[in-house]
Amino acid sequence: MRSRLFMIPSLLVAGFLPSKSDAMPIGELVSKKDPGTSVLERLRLKHIFTLAGHRSHSSHRSHSSHSSHRSSSGGGYTYRRSAPVYSPPSKVYTTPSTVYTAPAGSFATQPTVSATPTYPVTSDPATAAPLKTLPGNTAKFKRIVMQVQTALTAYGYYEGLIDGQVGPACKKALVAMQTDYNLKVTGTITPDVLNTFGIVAN
Amino acid sequence: MISLRLKVDPLPIDEPLVVRLQGPGSPARSDHDAVLAEIAPDRREYDLNGFSFGVYGISSEVIDGDVLMMLPGETTAHRLIRAGSAHNTLLVTEQCDQLCVMCSQPPKKYHTDLFEQFTLAASLAPQGAMIGVSGGEPLLHKERLFSMLEDVNAQRPDIGFHILTNAQHFSRADLERLQRLDYERVLWGVPLYSSMPETHDQLVGKPGAFASLEQGLSILMRAGASLELRTVVMQQNWQDLPALADYVSTRLSFLTVWAIMQLERIGYARMNWKETFRDTSGDFEQIARAVDIATARGLKAALYNFPLCSVPPAYQDFAPSTISDWKRKYLDFCLNCRAKETCGGFFQWYSQAEGFAFLGPL
Repeated sequence: MRSRLFMIPSLLVAGFLPSKSDAMPIGELVSKKDPGTSVLERLRLKHIFTLAGHRSHSSHRSHSSHSSHRSSSGGGYTYRRSAPVYSPPSKVYTTPSTVYTAPAGSFATQPTVSATPTYPVTSDPATAAPLKTLPGNTAKFKRIVMQVQTALTAYGYYEGLIDGQVGPACKKALVAMQTDYNLKVTGTITPDVLNTFGIVAN
Repeated sequence: MISLRLKVDPLPIDEPLVVRLQGPGSPARSDHDAVLAEIAPDRREYDLNGFSFGVYGISSEVIDGDVLMMLPGETTAHRLIRAGSAHNTLLVTEQCDQLCVMCSQPPKKYHTDLFEQFTLAASLAPQGAMIGVSGGEPLLHKERLFSMLEDVNAQRPDIGFHILTNAQHFSRADLERLQRLDYERVLWGVPLYSSMPETHDQLVGKPGAFASLEQGLSILMRAGASLELRTVVMQQNWQDLPALADYVSTRLSFLTVWAIMQLERIGYARMNWKETFRDTSGDFEQIARAVDIATARGLKAALYNFPLCSVPPAYQDFAPSTISDWKRKYLDFCLNCRAKETCGGFFQWYSQAEGFAFLGPL
């Protein structure tokens, strides 16, 4: 079996190209390949990444900030699943110490993105449909926005829909509210806005 | 040095959040884009779907178009994609089934699965980006890895991946999926250290590794995949290099490039430096022979991570600048070197005291 496998490229190296390759139209070189690509077809083409990547395994984030490059504490992206704090650095709260390291495969139970084969095939990143937003954060952001919209309505700044979207009317309301309360005027939801309304983000 | 983490104001998140930072005047192109709202000397304020957050300490670096990952409860964000860099690498797992003597990223027991975040990050990368995938051993999470490659390709066929793997976990059942991947956009970087099975197995700390690697390589070949074979030069395989060149050029001639690599002084390689590092600045003979054999047989050989002045003039053309931008440094004498523009320099953790004996400006 092996001899047959390895004979093909050897023939190619020796200059015995399959006759089909001569008749290959130019157009086919740039068109999207048929999924059933064989090594023969591939060898005809010039590769774009001969020197594409020269990365090594030690590319890792932990290394860039640790003085010891093989520190055993804190790997690449391991993180503590403590109660997150949404606050500007000027006033950092200490969280209750319910800190534990994420167990292995902590996200393995999430629905995978592979369940969405409906993305349009396009090579333009500007028009490509973004991937599904991660459910946990989207739902939470929306809930917080709705709380803010409700508060803005109650305080008389907002008359729009409580839809969980920070649209133009909501931004305008935020600007007015931030101005009145001597907060930094951003037109966005800041920790100050949440504090003023007593909305607990976490 | 380039920062791979940035200090940020934490957002109220329960799950890891992936966000792309837009430059001045650029609107959001998706829900994952943060619009630049304000630039202060040491802080930039962004608006992500109506929420404000600040990014700190980026006075001299351009971060427009970068993709960050924020983790719940953390005030530093991981800079997954730097828009201006060709050296972006995703560390998809820290688990590994080998224990190589020169490992620069020693494995860990647990896996934090962030493939969903990486998939999203890759789909937000600049046009035509080539993204590195590393570990640990990425194929230990083969299903997740394939899903990532397929999902990104489905919506961003312009994005390429360079995947570092020991290639020992492919089976015939993977052939179809491998064939469907765009071989012009997916390059498998696979290590092979010797043509002697015992030597290779010993270096990677896994009996039977060579045999499974041969199987894996044959599957990659049948799938028409693109292969970058990677051989780190060490004292342990120094004498084997010509024989390896023979093996590579007769058995693996389908490869795209054979990379002969210098050692990176970090991780286990640092621990085992004295027994492992081969100073190739004085004696280049075995590499020269290996390169000659491969080249004569029509293969493309390349020297990775070799400072140009350590390489004999006749072979300098084989040595591109390969050390990633953020972990590269130059030595004092490099200031006067005329090759500085084309030389990859040294790893940050390179030590001249234990390094090459014969160096100097060209």
